[in-house]
Amino acid sequence: MFKLRKAEPRDVPDILRLIKELAKYEEMEDRVLLTEKDLLEDGFGEHPFYQCILAEWQEEQSNEEPKVIGFAMYYFTYDPWTGKLLYLEDFFVVEEFRGKGIGSEILKLLSHLAMKTRCGSMHFIVAEDNRSSIEFYKRRGAEDLSKEEGWRLFRFDKDSILKMAAPAEE
Amino acid sequence: MFKLRKAEPRDVPAILRLIKELAKYEEMEDRVLLTEKDLLDDGFGEHPCYQCFLAEWQEEQSNEEPKVIGFAMYYFTYDPWIGKVLYLEDFFVVEEFRGKGIGSKILKLLSDLAIETRCSNMHFVVAEGNHSSIEFYKHRGAEDLSKEEGWRLFCFDKDSILKMAAS
Repeated sequence: MFKLRKAEPRDVPDILRLIKELAKYEEMEDRVLLTEKDLLEDGFGEHPFYQCILAEWQEEQSNEEPKVIGFAMYYFTYDPWTGKLLYLEDFFVVEEFRGKGIGSEILKLLSHLAMKTRCGSMHFIVAEDNRSSIEFYKRRGAEDLSKEEGWRLFRFDKDSILKMAAPAEE
Repeated sequence: MFKLRKAEPRDVPAILRLIKELAKYEEMEDRVLLTEKDLLDDGFGEHPCYQCFLAEWQEEQSNEEPKVIGFAMYYFTYDPWIGKVLYLEDFFVVEEFRGKGIGSKILKLLSDLAIETRCSNMHFVVAEGNHSSIEFYKHRGAEDLSKEEGWRLFCFDKDSILKMAAS
């Protein structure tokens, strides 16, 4: 059976493990550069940049420690038209534990949190070829804003930032 | 001449005005539901949900109050692969004041801030039909992640959230 709870500093190794498993599922695992130290400082310091909900699994009548087999990483963002938003950054359940309603329970918990914190909507991005995830979200009412309203995600990487920060040539 | 500064509570009417002007530019002005009170509570309360830089214009040798003619709204997000990210939510300069380097100066200020706060990247969304903005950003090195990596922005609206909460 499974249980959901808020992540604590001791969970950082499991959070990193699941981040890497999700990146592997998206075929981008070599892109994970964060360390446990980064996650600890950034999530559990004075000013947390992210929050996590974890799903733990424990076999009935087992003495073993519960295993962390799913997580959701989220934070709050702001839409200048409608106000506070809950942003779902990462959301993953280990393959062998899918189909048990864990993902749905996590979304339910996040939905309660969104309502409690007066968030108008929940945003997240999905890779366009991740059809099973897109189906999972669409079945629950999610809309594809990129398709419907033409929004595209852009990035300035470190090099571009350094160039823009450099003093303009006279 | 123009000056850039951090927004203060007294600037909330100007911030809302510019949010509406940007929404009008994107042909979505009826979608702005926020009020000055929301912006005040959300930006200048105990846990600010956003930050703003403002661009003020003052005519040389004029006694008039400076006018707020541009802004950038931003906040910090988190990428689980690389850490902190500066997210540029809104960025607008009133039309008659474009071409004077104000936008570039705002981006420079944001870039300085990104470096100071150890953010690896700056993210933002642009509407695909907004060609002049896309050019402005690409000219400065921005990459279209939706095009290159296939990321699509999704949304659960209030109704969907209520349904999932009740499930």
